[in-house]
Amino acid sequence: MPFGRRNVFLALLAFGAIVPAFANGYQLFVCNLVAIYIILAIGLNLLVGYAGQLAFANAAMFGIGAYVIGLLQVHLGWPFWAAFPIGSLVAAAVGTLLALPALRMSGLYLALSTLAFAQATQWVFLHWETVTFGAGGFKTPQLSFAPLPIGKPAGLYYLSLILVVLLYLFARRLVRSRIGRAFVAVRDSEVAAESLGIDLLRYKALAFGLSGFYAGIAGGLYSALLNFVAPEGYDLFQMIIQKSTIVVGGMGSIAGSVVGASLIILILELLREVKGFQEIAFGALLVGFVLFMRGGLIVVVRRYLSGWEEPLRLTPKAEAPGLPRPDPQPSVAEK
Amino acid sequence: MSAPLLSVRDLHVSFGGVHVLQGIDLDVGSLEIRGLIGPNGAGKTTLLNAICGMYRPRQGSITFDGTSVVGRKASDIASLGLGRTFQTSQLFKGMTVLENLMTGLHRQTTTDFLSAAFGLRRASEEEVRSEEEARRALHFVGMSEFADRPATALSFGQQRVVEIARTLIGDPKLVLLDEPAVGLSINRLAELDTLLRRIRDQKGVTLILIEHVIRLVMDVCDRVTVLSSGRAIADGAPEVVRSAPAVIEAYLGKELRARNSAS
Repeated sequence: MPFGRRNVFLALLAFGAIVPAFANGYQLFVCNLVAIYIILAIGLNLLVGYAGQLAFANAAMFGIGAYVIGLLQVHLGWPFWAAFPIGSLVAAAVGTLLALPALRMSGLYLALSTLAFAQATQWVFLHWETVTFGAGGFKTPQLSFAPLPIGKPAGLYYLSLILVVLLYLFARRLVRSRIGRAFVAVRDSEVAAESLGIDLLRYKALAFGLSGFYAGIAGGLYSALLNFVAPEGYDLFQMIIQKSTIVVGGMGSIAGSVVGASLIILILELLREVKGFQEIAFGALLVGFVLFMRGGLIVVVRRYLSGWEEPLRLTPKAEAPGLPRPDPQPSVAEK
Repeated sequence: MSAPLLSVRDLHVSFGGVHVLQGIDLDVGSLEIRGLIGPNGAGKTTLLNAICGMYRPRQGSITFDGTSVVGRKASDIASLGLGRTFQTSQLFKGMTVLENLMTGLHRQTTTDFLSAAFGLRRASEEEVRSEEEARRALHFVGMSEFADRPATALSFGQQRVVEIARTLIGDPKLVLLDEPAVGLSINRLAELDTLLRRIRDQKGVTLILIEHVIRLVMDVCDRVTVLSSGRAIADGAPEVVRSAPAVIEAYLGKELRARNSAS
């Protein structure tokens, strides 16, 4: 399997590791952005693709991470290295609380209530001016990797890259365990999951908490990358970008999250010259994939290359040839 | 018969103003196969759903294995050893057959999310054990060769059997089967008959089944309870129940009998 997932990703990682050696500032910035969005996409995919919770609060979690981490530095003078983990945990905690409405609602209703939560978060960012500095946002202190002989852009890039690898492996292992199977069980049939002793609240809370944690980490990296935090970075368009990454990459696929996030950010950067066009292109992309390519690009990859299957168990499978795996269930996308 | 495994007393379930169950009493002893029959809308599935905690009764008590289960979460009741299957296939569509069965082991396994995510050894050892057990359970129902098929690739009848296996693997004391024979061919029906007996005899599991295929009910059940309009109208051995006037009336209606006796 020369083009199996493992080999391809290792090659990409090797390439990623040498990027700072030749890339200019802008190229490094884009690569860093890709890394951040991979983290976001994996977290969102655990929640939406695996656990089947159609939530639209990920951009808000991303924002909460960025704000908490930024504000701890600005107001309390905390160093980034202390604010970063705390802010990520705060985002995880807020995410976990979102599981409470998810116990009562599903599908569109959950989508709308989490959207309402996201808008409320925007409102807080905008209007709690004494703390959040309002619509203008605020600058975060310049991140320093002081004892290490490395500049901020390359340092932050490597930090992001390491976190991508760790969080990717973390998610990969998780979905191949009884926890991942419980997520998929909750997605595919809540009544059957309960009848097997799977506690819905517990696993919904875990999925929401994990996606919040991933988003919080991404938020910390993002604020450090831009040295700036403002409400508009975490608005509805941000949510659409994140949603696109998993729809395009593949719902219910960790590898798909990587593919989708990379592709979406590259497209986004190519379209940066024409800002108004970004929204149109994204809308079209989302509709196109939902209509014509359920399951995302990962399904195409699996069709032509071997070694891209993502079983929900750890043990290797003695698979009979010619028996395709079930495609990830795209039904959550339009439920 | 010692203390019954499942004991339902004066159970009332209502949806809004509709009283679906109006004072059901039901005792099912250990290792019994109990049939639950009745016309459409009699409240059979509602009774099952109330027992496993999906509906909250308005009144009445349900005791399973010495524990009162009214008001408990469905997942907690399942953990007491109460399994069930559904009227429509509720296999997890995004999984293979084997993964479905491994999910059935949820409450037998203990790996928490951190040890899974960090790939600790005991997590992977548990995975290996889970897979072996899932393969054994598939073998028990004679579906070993389907292990790595997507759940959606199975025929309707096969899905039912896998669903039963997925419940059995969790080592339940009592399994509620909601119309297991729906859509099965004659040959498959005979296999199901044998399978149900083997589940009771070899696994020591008590069964309650809702079924419209009367042949299966008469053949496999030790006792039959007949529901009609939310009440239990008859209870006893299959052949006794079959000829009870109240049962004939529930299925065929009063007027027909009246006309018969008039002519």
